Formats: sequence, C-alpha cells, structure tokens
Amino acid sequence: MPSSTSNFNRILRLPRLFFRPPTEAESVHGGPPLEFERPIPQIPWRGITVVVVLVVIAAACAWEFYCRSIGYGPTLNDDEDLWTMTRQRVTPESIVIIGDSRGWYDLDLDELQKGLGKRPVQLAMGGGCGYPVLADLANDKTFHGTIICSFVPWLFFAPPGSPPMERGEKAVRRSHTQTPAQRTSEYFAMPLEEHVAFLKQQDLTLEQLLKRLPIPNRPNALVPPRLPPYFGTVDRERRARMIEECARGEKLATTIQQIWLPIFTPPPPPSYIPKDVFMAKIKDAIEKRFRDTIEAVEKLRARGGKIVFVRLPVSGGLKVLEDQATPRNRTWDPLLQGTRAPGIYFEDFPELAGFNCPEWSHLSAGDSVEFSKRLVPHLRAALGL
Amino acid sequence: MLFNSLTFVVFFVVVVTAYWSIHSWIARKNLLVTASYVFYGAWNPPFAALLFSTTAMDFWLGRQIAKAKDKPSRRAWLVGSVCMNLSMLGFFKYGNFLLENFQWILARIGIIYHPPHLDILLPVGISFYTFHSLSYTLDIYRGVLQPTRSLRDFVLAVSFFPQLVAGPIVRAGDFLPQLVRPPALRIGQFMWGLLLMTLGLFEKIVLADTMLAGSADRIFGYAGPLVALDSWLGVMAFAGQIFFDFAGYSTCAIGAALCLGFHLKDNFRFPYAAIGFSDFWRRWHISLSTFLRDYLYIPLGGNQVRPMRAAINLVIVMFLGGLWHGAAWTFVVWGLLHGSYLVIERVIRVLFENKPWANNSATRTLAWFATYGAVCIAWVFFRASDFTIATRMLGGMFGGHAHGDAILSTREILQVAIVTAFMIAAHWTLRESNIETAVTRLPRWAVTTAWALMASAIILTQGTSNAFIYFQF
Repeated sequence: MPSSTSNFNRILRLPRLFFRPPTEAESVHGGPPLEFERPIPQIPWRGITVVVVLVVIAAACAWEFYCRSIGYGPTLNDDEDLWTMTRQRVTPESIVIIGDSRGWYDLDLDELQKGLGKRPVQLAMGGGCGYPVLADLANDKTFHGTIICSFVPWLFFAPPGSPPMERGEKAVRRSHTQTPAQRTSEYFAMPLEEHVAFLKQQDLTLEQLLKRLPIPNRPNALVPPRLPPYFGTVDRERRARMIEECARGEKLATTIQQIWLPIFTPPPPPSYIPKDVFMAKIKDAIEKRFRDTIEAVEKLRARGGKIVFVRLPVSGGLKVLEDQATPRNRTWDPLLQGTRAPGIYFEDFPELAGFNCPEWSHLSAGDSVEFSKRLVPHLRAALGL
Repeated sequence: MLFNSLTFVVFFVVVVTAYWSIHSWIARKNLLVTASYVFYGAWNPPFAALLFSTTAMDFWLGRQIAKAKDKPSRRAWLVGSVCMNLSMLGFFKYGNFLLENFQWILARIGIIYHPPHLDILLPVGISFYTFHSLSYTLDIYRGVLQPTRSLRDFVLAVSFFPQLVAGPIVRAGDFLPQLVRPPALRIGQFMWGLLLMTLGLFEKIVLADTMLAGSADRIFGYAGPLVALDSWLGVMAFAGQIFFDFAGYSTCAIGAALCLGFHLKDNFRFPYAAIGFSDFWRRWHISLSTFLRDYLYIPLGGNQVRPMRAAINLVIVMFLGGLWHGAAWTFVVWGLLHGSYLVIERVIRVLFENKPWANNSATRTLAWFATYGAVCIAWVFFRASDFTIATRMLGGMFGGHAHGDAILSTREILQVAIVTAFMIAAHWTLRESNIETAVTRLPRWAVTTAWALMASAIILTQGTSNAFIYFQF
C-alpha cells in the first residue's frame, strides 16, 4: 500500500505482532486499514494501580498533615481567575477597592459596608500595581461608582514590564478573556482550596519549595529578591487576613520584614544602559503614569464616578525606606494635585497613625477591622457622602 | 480545556464513565462528538461552529472528489478543499502578518499605506484541526482513502478531543477505520492509558513548567547582554521545555485515546538522541514531518529528482513547516535553518558515507553533539519574539558579550543541567526502543514507584493551568 502508514511503520520498527490485516468491516472506509495498534505492556496492571493509588493517597495525606503541623491552613489561592470572578461582581454603582496588598489586607469589608452603606468589591492585589485596574474601570463605560485606591508609590509607579504592573495587567486581561473552562476550573478549585492546606500556589508548590533551598548564588548574579512566605488567608470575596502566627510579630514577622527591604529597595541601573539614560527613562515612565492616571480619573469623573486615594499604614524599617525612596512631596502630593482627587494619608490623622504593622507592611486581621472603622468617617468626608 | 486543569479531570471522568457504560456504539460515538465539541467550545464557544463548518465542507468536498469522473474535476475539487482550509488558516493566523509585510513592501517602493490592524482572535489549535481535516480530501484525491458515508464519523475523526488542539496530527485515514467496530474495554489498555496521561502531565507540569520554563523565560526576556553560560542554559532550558511541553501533550493525548479504546501513533521518539537532522525529523513531531513529507515533499518530486532540486524541495518544505508554527519571520528562519541543516547533512553523507570512520562511535558522538547544538541554535529563533532578541542570544552564546550579565541563580542552573542531562540520558537509553518495551522490562516495583512518584509530583506541583506551547500554533 502506498500510504504513509507503511512508511511510518517502517520508521517506527514496531513488532509485527501488533499489525494485522484489515477485517471486511474495516474496509468500509476503504482507506488505509486499521493496521496500527499500540503495544500494551503486559504487566499486572490491577495490582500496580491499587498500590499506586494507595501510595499517592498516603503521600498526599502525610504532606497535608505536615503542612498543617508547621502552621499552614486552607485558604484560596489569589489567582487571576478568583480576581476575575470578583471583578464580575462590580456593578455600575459599586464601591471598589483597588491597588496593592495594603488595600487588600488593611480594609475590612464588613466595617466599610456598615460605614458606607454598600459592601465594597475587593480588587486590590498583593504585589500589584493599581493603575491597570484603575484604567480598566475608567474605560468601563457602565461603571460610575466609587474607587478606593490604595497607594504605595513604589508599586503604583512601577514601570511597564515590571512584576507589579504585569500582575495587574494579567488580572485585567484575564477578566476580559476568561474562558468557560477557566471559570469552571476556579469553581472546582475553590472548595478544594478551602479544605486542603497544601494547595497553596505561592508557597507550597514544588517550584516554591525548590526556591527555598539554601544554595548560594554566584557573587555577580542578578537574581530577583525572594518573596515573603505565606502570612495571610483569602476568602471568596478576596478579603485577605493576616494569620495569627504573623500577627504575633514573632519569627515569621521578622523574617518577612527582612524580605520587604530588598523588594522595596530601588535596584541598581542595568549594566547595559548608561545610568543617566536609565534614570531619564524611569523619569519619563513616572511622568507618563501621572498623566495616564489623571486621564483615567477624569474619564471616571466625567461619568459621575468618584475616587479617593488612601495611603495605608506602614511601619519600622520599611517606612524609613519608603519615606526615603518615594518621599511624599514627590509622589503623594503631585498625585492629588494632578488628579484633583481627595486623599487620606494615615499619618495625617492621629487615630489612623497609631497602628503597628507586625511585618512592617500590613495590619493584623484584628487591627484591620479597627482601622477600617476609624477610616470610614474620613472616607465619607472625602467622598462627600 | 487544558489537560492540566481541574475542569479536564472532571470532564474526563464523566466522559470515560459514560462512554464505557453505554452499550450502543452509535450512542458512544455521539457522546464523543458532543464531548469533543464541549472540550473545544470551553475555550471559545463560537469557534466550535467554525470547526464544524470546516469539517462539514471537507466532508462534502471529499465526496465530490470521489464522485468526479475525470482527473481535472478531481483536482478542481481538491483545490477547492485546499483553498478553503488554507484561506481559513490564512485569515485567522496570517492575516495581520500578511498585511504588515504588504505594508513593508509598499513602503520600500515609496507608498505609504497604513492597513487597519485586524482584531482577530486565533482559534485554538486551528493549524492542527485544519491538517486533520485536509488529510481526508488529500487522501481521497491520492486514491488511498474512500470517503466515509457518515458525517458524524468524520466530525469525530477531526474533532476527537484528545488530539484536537495540539496533535498529534491524526489523519482521517488512520482514525476512521477505528470507528467501524466498537473497541472492547481492556483493563491493561485502560491503565496503560492512565499511566501515559500521568507521564504526559508530569512532563508538562513538573519538567516543562516547573523545572525549565522559568529559566527560559528569564533568559529570553532579559533586555541586556548575557554571559555565555546563561545564554546556553537558557536555550537548553527552552529545548527541554518545548520537548516536555509538546511531547507531554502528545503522551496525554495518546493515553486519553487509549482509555477510550483508540490508538494514536507516536508523535515523538526520543528526538534529542538523534544523530543527524533527518534522524531528528524522524523523531520530532513525527505526525507533522510525515504529513509534510507525504503531502508536500513527495508531490514536489521527493528524492526522485536531481539532487539540487531535492535540496530546494527540502528547503521549501521546511520553510512552510516553519511558517506553519507561527506568523512571524523568526519561525521562517527556524524552518529555513532546519532545511539548510538537512541539505548540509545530505552533502556530508554523499561525501563521507563510505569512509571507514563514518560510523564509529567517536564520529557518531560528534554527530550527535553537532545535531543537538544545531537544533538548540535553531530553537533561539523559535523562542525569540524578534530578531533583536535572537541576535542578542546568539551573541551571548558565542561569547560576544564579554561583560554580559549573569542572571540565573545557582538553583536554576542546577535544575536546567540536571533535567537536561536526565532527558538526554533517557533519550539515549531508549533510542532504539520504545517506552512500552521499557515498561515491560522494568521490575514491577520500579514501574509502581515511578508512577506513584510522578502522580505525587503532579499533586505537589499543583500547576497553574499554563497553556501548552503548541496551543498557539
């Protein structure tokens, strides 16, 4: 037969045993006969399968038990699909929280609902830049609600292509392109994640475990800084809460404090661009972000929407670092002037300034409730409610 | 729907359970058609209609080719089928590419033209299912296949969900005969299918996504010059990533098909143990290389023409093979490089084949090393999104950046080195064999341990439902 199949067989050199002449029934289609059958290894399949299933179940149970014993608890993974599901809850008049992880951890939805009369939708994200979400809401012609935007300059002015910017852009992109399969997977994943502690993509995957191996790097290697370990839980509304172990301010909190410092320290200019060129590029990128933010806020305002920027508590060495690297007069003040939007800076109000962040960047779950309660009157005033 | 997603796990359990519970063969085939369209529609439901319309057209055209009484009529109907399929592919996949290049050509002769950017969403796996469908009319025209009387059977042959979106490219002639008689449920075959699915997912989730993708992405995404070590490791990481990603998908597809009683052919045969480029293409993406061979290279004259013409034919075939992968000149260069490699190999064979040292182990080792190195160099163009990145990478690989940066951590270096060494060793070990033979010969405890370890590693890795690389093609 001149078909490719015969050539294929020759190439594969499969045993003759696995080829047989076509039956009469098979010649109905008239083409190359069913002359290919995959060989099946002749081994005791039932026994092997039973042992494999038992071993895998035992290994998963042991891993789950171990993870719980070292402090991990079940929580949802804050991925793009969970964000998208939350984004889909935004109605034209919603109150929406956007921005970084401080807006995510520090604002309690129950207290804000009590104080503002509506339950906010939580769209802030850990390590994310708020601008892509702001732009997305500004471009959403149906939206004319209220935005509470958490502002951390280092993240808000992150340049295009940087991880914070990509995080925000990926989430927004997913919300526009999510497939039915992705949505269904999220529905299946949520009940599992709510009951199994080791399903923690940011901490307990093989990749993350490998990253924790104490292997020294080459002295000149430009390796990205380590990200903090698990210190919070997320629920179906994407409300993040710091876990008790971190809130106590002990070993976990001090470990995370030391991780924040390199993350929030401006990296040296890349070796392949002259320093002045690089600094000029950064300056241009920041100015553009100012302009784009002003444009987005004006678009929103033109439809009757409102926005308030909030600078949420930060403590210890991280506060010193942020004040040095991104001083208020070069970030916060021009932002409010440019956008003509109201802003609430925690340090301006004694009742908001007295909170301590156990790991320097976020409030504990208990403090976030009290903080939100005290923030409500300021939000009401800023938004004219 | 991705194989490495929870939705697929639930979908597969439901489909397999229902499939083996139903007695009627017709009802089983109807179930598979429905399941395949649900599988495909789960990405973007309207594209399921496009898939069906392409399939229905080829079903009809196949009948017209068979009914035609003379060769010109047969050829006319075949041209109709080829044009329909390729224009669909051309519009969705190459529309913007063609417009951009047209704009560029006009600009060269002084005409400024700004074509609108077509906001075209590429249907997943269009290159694969177009070839599934096209093989039907081509084989009827070649006289090696008679048209099927059942539209449902043909729809199932094109859309069978295990191979629908990323191969292997299953020809209708290989699949339709399997739809005549219902397969029997055989435990060994079913379990082997599950083991192959575990192996495929392990290759994708653990080896490709976890161990290699991060290093490849960082190296190819770095905007500055790199030292030679990092450049080579980045390319080797991608060489491993694309193998495990694509071979993992094919292995999953073969396993899922076996669980349903169908037999799909191998798509990979340990390609990184290839000695020479013709050997490489007998081992890499076999379903595409045989497709191009049978439907393009042989009609162009194959090896039955003068050597120069055969060399030109090879380059043409590889040029189109490169373009099949994506609408970008980098893919074209990748294809042309492979075409050139094949031509050079032929010349070398003619010159040195009869030399006494041509087949000794040192020569073979050297030839393997040269093959692997050249394949890696070609991967640079496949992975790089533009020529600036490709040039920078090649500069780094060949020592052009004395003061380049080192960006891989020691852990990443170890991961790439260990996985690559493991992959090459495995390919060499199984070079003249196959995985079925290896599993049969292994001690039972070793098969059990390997299966349990792979399944546990998949659970531990969790996966983030990263799409398979070949979905974009």
